[in-house]
Amino acid sequence: MDHHHDQSPAHRRHTNPVLVFGILTIATLLEVAVTLFHLPKNVLVPILLAIAFVKAGLVAAYYMHLRYEHWVYTVIFVTPALFAVFLIFTLAV
Amino acid sequence: MEQTTAIARPISAEATHANLNRKFGMWLFLSSELLIFAGLIGAFILTRRNIFQNGQEWWEPNTFSLALVSINTFILLASSLMVVLGIEAIRADAQRKLQRYLVLTAILGAMFLGGQAIEYSLLIFEEGHSFADPFGTAFFTLTGIHGLHVLVGVIWCLITLLVARRGRFSSRNYTTVEIFGLYWHFVDLIWVIIFTVVYLTN
Repeated sequence: MDHHHDQSPAHRRHTNPVLVFGILTIATLLEVAVTLFHLPKNVLVPILLAIAFVKAGLVAAYYMHLRYEHWVYTVIFVTPALFAVFLIFTLAV
Repeated sequence: MEQTTAIARPISAEATHANLNRKFGMWLFLSSELLIFAGLIGAFILTRRNIFQNGQEWWEPNTFSLALVSINTFILLASSLMVVLGIEAIRADAQRKLQRYLVLTAILGAMFLGGQAIEYSLLIFEEGHSFADPFGTAFFTLTGIHGLHVLVGVIWCLITLLVARRGRFSSRNYTTVEIFGLYWHFVDLIWVIIFTVVYLTN
């Protein structure tokens, strides 16, 4: 694997983590707000899960730096993640 | 740049290789953990559905103190931000900043565990719910195993802090902090899903 950038401080410029934190907080508030509308379950659950998976994706991409890492790490993590998303979505909806 | 007491050791090719192996191993470990949690979340959803269909004892949706759990979610998200800022600090050789962020991470992690303890005590002692009923088993197993991961993370954070206080990390040698960060963010990522599945879709 080509990793010579891993130890270097001269990484690609990362997205502002405070901005990501702001988006995650707003998305969490949005999730809680959506539950207050008493939508039908078959509408509410997919909306909530979609927001949750986007939030999880943001954590993986920007906090775990998957977006800036070698593609092998992405394959290692995203493969079981896709299975998990499929499993949870299928069971919950 | 901050004044530091770093024992700045040049990193050898072997050490670089070892660090990459550790990071690779951590990603493999997290992938297996992801599957474990997927199974636990799936089991929770199935248990809840069966209880609902069979008309068994059911915890009313308003049983959970959503405000408490939402605050806990915010705390865990904030702790993840502290870890990211800590890694950015050590990339800039700011060792004291890294230590401050690690202290904040450990405090926020402990606060999360405190919030979970309050939630459990409310559910068990005030509302009389049990570990033994099917919903209780599914709920406490899932959230309890996650809580155990947070506890391990807090201990790991404190160990990383001790190592950081000895000046072992620098902008050229911070893989240990990065690996701890991966674990901590993973615990956060899993909570994001648990929060939605367990508390919001209940």
